[in-house]
Amino acid sequence: MIESLTEIFQDVFEDDEMDVTRELSAQDVPAWDSLMHVNLILAIERKFEIRFSSSEVSSLKNAGDLIDLIETKS
Amino acid sequence: LSSPLVEGFINTVSEQYPQYAIGVQESYQKSPERFTAIASKYLTWLGATQNGAVDRALKAYVDFTSSVNFSQARYEHDGHYENKSFTEVYESHYSKREEMDDYLWGVYLTNFLWSHHLDIAPGHGGWGVWALEQKKNATLTGYDISPSSIAIATEIARAAKVDDRSEYTERDALDLFSLDPEIADAVICSFLIEHLEQPDKLLHVINQLLKPGGTAFLTGALTAAQVDHIYEFSKESELFILAEDADLRVIESLSVNPERLLAKAKFTPKSMALILKKPT
Repeated sequence: MIESLTEIFQDVFEDDEMDVTRELSAQDVPAWDSLMHVNLILAIERKFEIRFSSSEVSSLKNAGDLIDLIETKS
Repeated sequence: LSSPLVEGFINTVSEQYPQYAIGVQESYQKSPERFTAIASKYLTWLGATQNGAVDRALKAYVDFTSSVNFSQARYEHDGHYENKSFTEVYESHYSKREEMDDYLWGVYLTNFLWSHHLDIAPGHGGWGVWALEQKKNATLTGYDISPSSIAIATEIARAAKVDDRSEYTERDALDLFSLDPEIADAVICSFLIEHLEQPDKLLHVINQLLKPGGTAFLTGALTAAQVDHIYEFSKESELFILAEDADLRVIESLSVNPERLLAKAKFTPKSMALILKKPT
């Protein structure tokens, strides 16, 4: 899961060095604003063939919350 | 920051919802004095409504912004708004009271958190209350089709201590044709027009309600998707033409858009405000 997510994060944020951990949050990534968040979520939807509602993803605190949410959908 | 209330609020956004902090900082930096003036009033009124109101509204704001961003992303992909009729929107959103309450509290905060948003009307009622604060002898009658709007606008007016000069009634804007004509010195109508199937009727209602020489403040959204936006305006001139066709003169206009857009965006979501005058 982390490996797949790392690929998506690196692609969306255009940063090949990006290292994704469960603790990674928007406070660690200056470009991770509400619009980049949508890009990220849409990329995850495509990769995992799942669909989120906007309220499910609006207040995720970090990558760990995101992973947990993906696992409930898979 | 000169207001501890506003400073505390911004800090809460940064700590609890960091993805939304950049936009809030952007709005603040654009005009710190204006942001602080509006935010301190709005947060004071909000805090006076009920315990936990600020936290609830902030979560509602985050959900609303997320929903708007998703709608815009799907609009980019599909090339059209999600819903085409009032019935569709009513069944999926307007008829759900709790969803509408949260929606309106979220929109209430966009009045200062979105630097491009010019909302000043019923719905949540905030800007109508603002107008009453400026015009001490004025009275306000607000009409909205949503029970949530009536309840929230009444609550805000009470918190701002202008409830003795304001009155809110549940009614469809297009039913206002049946009111006596020429009863209003001014009309505020904010971000309603894009929710209608036949927006031209709204301009005719405004004309009918205004006294000769009266002024209207109208705002609308262009190429800006939301789950309940039906009529897709794509050019500023469309709103000018609707106003002129209803025999209203455009005195001033302003069209603004957010500085940050979705990646590779084809559409730029815009908010437009018009000041209209009815000829004498």
